[in-house]
Amino acid sequence: MNLVRAELERLSARRFVQLMVVLLVLAFGITAATTLAGSHRPTATELAEAQRQAAEERRNLEVIHEQCLARERGVLPPEQADQYYPPNCSEVDPALRERLPVAADYLVGVFTFATEARPLLYFLIAFLVLFGFLVGASYIGADLNSGGVVNLLLWRPRRMTVLGAKLGTLLGGVLALSLVASVVYLGSFWFIGQAAGQPGHLDDQFWRSLGTLWGRGLVLVVLATALGFAIATLGRHTSAALGAVAAYLVVWELGARLVFEILEVARPDQLMLSSHLAAWLTGRAEFWDNQACAGVFDGSCDGFYALTWAPALVVLVTLTAALTAAAFALFRRRDLI
Amino acid sequence: MSAVIEIEGLRKTFHSLRHGRRVAVDGFDLLVEPGQIHGFLGPNGSGKTTTLRALLGLVRADAGRMTVLGARSPEQLPRVSGRVGAIVESPQFFGNFTAHRTLRLLARAGGVPVSRVDEVLTQVGLYDRGHERVKGYSLGMKQRLAVASALLKDPELLILDEPANGLDPAGIREMRDLMRSLAAAGVTVLVSSHILAEIQLICDHVTIISRGRRVAAGRVDEVLAGFDRHEFLVRVAEPARAVELLGAAGLTATAHDDHLTVADVTDPTLVSRTLGEQGLWVGELTPLRPDLESVFLELTGTAGHPGVPRQVDDSVLPDRPTRDGTIDLDAGVGETRGVDA
Repeated sequence: MNLVRAELERLSARRFVQLMVVLLVLAFGITAATTLAGSHRPTATELAEAQRQAAEERRNLEVIHEQCLARERGVLPPEQADQYYPPNCSEVDPALRERLPVAADYLVGVFTFATEARPLLYFLIAFLVLFGFLVGASYIGADLNSGGVVNLLLWRPRRMTVLGAKLGTLLGGVLALSLVASVVYLGSFWFIGQAAGQPGHLDDQFWRSLGTLWGRGLVLVVLATALGFAIATLGRHTSAALGAVAAYLVVWELGARLVFEILEVARPDQLMLSSHLAAWLTGRAEFWDNQACAGVFDGSCDGFYALTWAPALVVLVTLTAALTAAAFALFRRRDLI
Repeated sequence: MSAVIEIEGLRKTFHSLRHGRRVAVDGFDLLVEPGQIHGFLGPNGSGKTTTLRALLGLVRADAGRMTVLGARSPEQLPRVSGRVGAIVESPQFFGNFTAHRTLRLLARAGGVPVSRVDEVLTQVGLYDRGHERVKGYSLGMKQRLAVASALLKDPELLILDEPANGLDPAGIREMRDLMRSLAAAGVTVLVSSHILAEIQLICDHVTIISRGRRVAAGRVDEVLAGFDRHEFLVRVAEPARAVELLGAAGLTATAHDDHLTVADVTDPTLVSRTLGEQGLWVGELTPLRPDLESVFLELTGTAGHPGVPRQVDDSVLPDRPTRDGTIDLDAGVGETRGVDA
């Protein structure tokens, strides 16, 4: 417990951590301030007009769908025959759309929490993932490089305990900060929506969906933190983690993708971590496989395939766990000179 | 009484893709008894720091047996680590932390009362500067902080690797006094240093290492006595004639510019009597005792030659150390080798 308390103090006292927290607060402050400054509570007239426009747009969608079905049945009036309708009318079926036009879409200068919450949360998750990775890498990297770990091991010559306490403290600290930051962040924008904009349609489904995204985001933050810590431990330096990520992006995500294309490898996206990252965060990510429909020209081939959150999580957790286990195994035997 | 530190047959080889294999410590033995201030000497790259790191569990030994305060190292080290204070090679600290915070964090991690922080900062003379960031410290101040971190546990055994690094003359004297006062309070001190005059002043026992092997060990006076050639410096009016006269009397005398040296003198009165009987009156007759520096240079073969730069690995490779005695002064002096590869 003493070790964890000491590590927590060491972590919070680090300049880099403080700088990243300041950046987070700054980014949050600027976003909130500009949102607040650019938003106003809609008047009854604005609201009525927006609702009218949304209703009209929904009606238009229904009309197009009905016309498409009429074309399928061969009862489309000749004056509407010039308009384009997709071969499959389900593509324009309003009931199958992800979302229908709502009044908020036609309110100019009005912040609507229900519409903006997800993109705002994506931004926060992206920042926290970056924060976790960099802090995780620099926390152990600087300690290994500066001799701080050696100093500590002279006091507590139990390598696994020391490294475990460091990782545990780091993950706990980053998770706690992420929890607090996301609650404060979303809470502030909810308040802006209430006071200077519109809350929008906040039903159970909205909160469930936002909660799921939030939970997935926090898992990603924890994984990124552990990954930064593990790679920096393996490479004995903060820059090892940064270098590994840069190398991965250039060599695999760009280089290997190109090679796969040239070699006409099927479904190359499923070999990329970024695909699994997207699948985990959104629940399901669809990709187009160029090879699936090679030589098929009648439009009957569907080249899309999907990655879902469960296998994506397995990939991300396995990678992180493997690297973390390797880092611990190496640290246990390594000469600290 | 059991030894505070016992090392037998320690071996450590480093492997690197670029530089191949390098034997750092090769069958090294060390014995430190309770209450000693034990000097640990060796040229650069001789294996001192590797030995200390292996003893403290920071590097893995390839072979050998080590105990610290009766506990096997590194397996049982956690059992005694609270009683061992150590600094190994100029330790680094976070520049943005103050000395006070640095020590407080260590105290917390080690379960030591935080009240000890002010005590040790006072002990090493950093109390007034304890709330300044370490990055503003001089090398000597950082060294004091390192010593403070080692003292924090109120240790029974203090292991100090080059504690005088960067210290000013007053700091060196303070460090000497500190070690003496700690030894007087019953603390056993193992100190490695290149300041041989300091070691000679402070230490009662010494172990000398060269190329990873022990070349000498024992009480400082005994080690020095092994190199005492019973030599005297003699000043007379006619040195050349004096050499002849002393030679005729069976003594080995060598003339220098303004004096002569006579070796293997068991009875100094023989020198003055021999010269006096021939009308040569002795102006000065001073015994030349070996000091630790000359013994060290001779044992490790690191004296060098004027105008010839010495490489760090140009030192004596002694025979494997003997296990029966504490001194093995004949250990391969004069034999040298290149890089272990």
